[in-house]
Amino acid sequence: MIERFIEKARIAGAEVERVADPRAAADFIREFLKKNDLRTALISPDLKLRPPFDREFAGTGTALGADSTAAGAPGFARGSTSAVLDRGLYPRASGEPEARPLIWVDAGIVAADHGVAETGTLVHFDRSDAEKNVWTLPEVCICLLEARAVTASLDDLAPAFAAHLGRTDIPSPQVSLVTGPSRTADIEGQLTIGVHGPSRLIVLLT
Amino acid sequence: MKKRTVDPALKKVLQDFSLSYLTKRRTALEGYDFEELRTRLAAIKDDALDRNEELLARFEENARGHGSVVLRARDGAEANAAILEICRRHGVRKMAKSKSMVSEETGLNDYLAERGVEARETDLGEWIVQIAAERPTHMVMPAIHLTRKDVAALFARRLGRDVPEDIPALVRIARGEMRKEIFAAQAGLSGANALIAESGAIVLVTNEGNGRLITTVPPVAIVLATIEKVVPTTADALAVLKILPRNATGQTITSYVSFIAGPHAAAQYIILLDNHRSEMAADPAFRAALRCVKCSACLNVCPVYQLLGGGEYAHVYMGGIGTLFTAWIHGLDKSKALAKLCLRCHRCEAYCAAKIPIADLITALAERLNRETGMTLWKRFAFNGVMGRPRLQQAAFKAARSARKALGTKDGFARRLPAWMKKYDRFRALPSPAPAALTKLFKKEFPSPFAPVKAAKGPVTIYGGCLIEHFYPEIGLATARVLAKLGYEVKLAPGLCCGFPPSNAGFRKASGRAFAALLGKMEIDGPVVTLCPTCATMLSKRGLEIDGSEKAKSLAKAVIPFGRFIVENELAAVRGMRKNAPAGLTVTYHDSCHHKNLLAAERASRTIVELALGAGIAEMDEADKCCGFAGSYSLDNPEISAELLADKLAAIEKTGAGIVAMDCPGCLLQIRGGCRSRGLAVRAAHTAELLDESLS
Repeated sequence: MIERFIEKARIAGAEVERVADPRAAADFIREFLKKNDLRTALISPDLKLRPPFDREFAGTGTALGADSTAAGAPGFARGSTSAVLDRGLYPRASGEPEARPLIWVDAGIVAADHGVAETGTLVHFDRSDAEKNVWTLPEVCICLLEARAVTASLDDLAPAFAAHLGRTDIPSPQVSLVTGPSRTADIEGQLTIGVHGPSRLIVLLT
Repeated sequence: MKKRTVDPALKKVLQDFSLSYLTKRRTALEGYDFEELRTRLAAIKDDALDRNEELLARFEENARGHGSVVLRARDGAEANAAILEICRRHGVRKMAKSKSMVSEETGLNDYLAERGVEARETDLGEWIVQIAAERPTHMVMPAIHLTRKDVAALFARRLGRDVPEDIPALVRIARGEMRKEIFAAQAGLSGANALIAESGAIVLVTNEGNGRLITTVPPVAIVLATIEKVVPTTADALAVLKILPRNATGQTITSYVSFIAGPHAAAQYIILLDNHRSEMAADPAFRAALRCVKCSACLNVCPVYQLLGGGEYAHVYMGGIGTLFTAWIHGLDKSKALAKLCLRCHRCEAYCAAKIPIADLITALAERLNRETGMTLWKRFAFNGVMGRPRLQQAAFKAARSARKALGTKDGFARRLPAWMKKYDRFRALPSPAPAALTKLFKKEFPSPFAPVKAAKGPVTIYGGCLIEHFYPEIGLATARVLAKLGYEVKLAPGLCCGFPPSNAGFRKASGRAFAALLGKMEIDGPVVTLCPTCATMLSKRGLEIDGSEKAKSLAKAVIPFGRFIVENELAAVRGMRKNAPAGLTVTYHDSCHHKNLLAAERASRTIVELALGAGIAEMDEADKCCGFAGSYSLDNPEISAELLADKLAAIEKTGAGIVAMDCPGCLLQIRGGCRSRGLAVRAAHTAELLDESLS
């Protein structure tokens, strides 16, 4: 089933790497960001609480939160929603503005709740828009996925979807299915990636 | 009627797209039973339509429970006004939109622009179309009619700088521009691919990701959805998702699917728009159209859409399914010209994700148009006046036959029509009536009572239909000879019209009269072998809708297409009697629309052809695409008919085959006439003729 997931995800245009554990995933990400000169990154709020990400990625911005809306967007660029990386990842050059506009972000670091082998899909039970945007805004999306969370088909997850969407303890229950990078074929039917969302989707399978 | 023109560049884009779509779709459906998937979807949608109001109420309650504001709009004007009111309340001056065909339906962008709210599209295709100040021409690929050159020129004008004619670079530029617009917008408007009643969630299916940005970035979210989108459960929404992307773009799933319950931003408004859909649902004849999930597969395989595109073949909604929605949403008068463009080839129905009988619904619409907006004069004369009056019909054919000398040339083709009518016959030579009708020739060759040499296997009745009766009696005789050689007692049905042509043109009463006249004279004793798939459809299916009598039912049961009759009953015998075919004959097979799409008899016919020729079939590209005859269609739309025929002849020529076999005398008229006009040395023959020639 894992093999099938990997095959289908790759067909959809995702890059899949197998890593030993979250520790190795964190190492991979640090190296990857450096190697690809990705200077700004966002990490999803739930992942930021998990070790080793809680320490390593402490300075990483967590995307748009409720506070940014309250701060009177449009723009979402100011104040507490800084997307600039600092400690441990990539030093901020002196003189660089406090916060680059969030609308341009190099990388997003997220974790999926499930994988679906049938289609190579990542499934995330969103708890807020902030989480959702970490998946969609950046140029590159890096996603952790536990191999044991891969199921055969979407239908297997129908009860879990229904349960999450029915939650009333969170303001906006959402389920996201993400399969490969953002794509379009709107010009001459030619497949082109990265039209709105990430142009690269990296899956780190632990 | 507006003259419809074919743009060769657009035609090429659309036809290439269709071919690549078909390949991708095949791959995406590997390992799945399409019939099972769509039967399930149709059942879900039918059930949801049955209890639409109940499900909407539940959806509303649950969405409100999550904190969304749900509004109902009876028509487009109400929906637009509600959206404007939301904009005013939240001080929205700029709105970003993900794809919403429904907003095209209500004319939202123009409405808002006139009132000071700028609505910007963010689906790449829609964004391009909006910059070009045009309208979408395809539901899934709105800018399919524009090339990279066109797009580069548009961007250059907008940005005031040079732009490369390179697709990835163009997409990159668009990304930057659209991202800025999304972040500048105070409200985001999306559609919904499904509404889930049990949770009040909306489902958005996109590839680009704009749906996600639109629903998370701007502080106010507006969802414009139509009432037929509601389904009971998450599992039902997943059933939609299982078939929609596979059938729409040949993807197993799109890049992004979002299920959203409750407002994510400051506020979420969900507008449930009716716009005549509940009237449509209440009409049993048209209700099935509301199963549509807007996958566009029907457009992708439509021979006419491929020629004209969604600029010409649309009001707002495109193609055959669009014609039906146009009639209800924008008015019967707007659908009249569109309804004439449907070939009634039924090809779309084989691909429809929700089993909508699109072509039959167009026929039902044609009836309504005749009734409520008046009939075309020549059709009224031909179908109501002549075809619907069996005696007059016979007299007309007789008159044509006696004028044969004046009309005819030696080899069965009529002399050319005068120059002012040249668009009807220059692209395909028209046949002249045969010297004698099948009924007369049959009596001569098979005098009654006819008993075959071998022990009789019982009676079989041949029904030829008008074209074989009056133009191609040799096909009827060939069939009779085959059946006689096989030991059947051969009978011939009366040489009367089956009633299909008037029915197809929307003259139900005339059709009923013709069908009743035939049925009255018909003796049903054993199988009725048909040589024309259109007649077979009338006798076995459509006739029953007009006449529910026992006799009509037993006729329907007795009808069997020639090829299927042989394959099911006489395959071994035919193998034994076959002569060696002359060496070097190559053959290709043209699928007649009704033969394949309504009778599913194309496999049997291929078996017959291969047996007769002792050779495999050299398959042509898109063998199942209409040749352009389609009955009176070639008189209504000679330009389209000619274009389709040219494509068909090119496909035949490409195989290098010397013979093109088929099962429909209408296709034969078109293709034989086309070969003649073009000087193509290919023989067009009915499978029955080929089988007759091969038996000793």
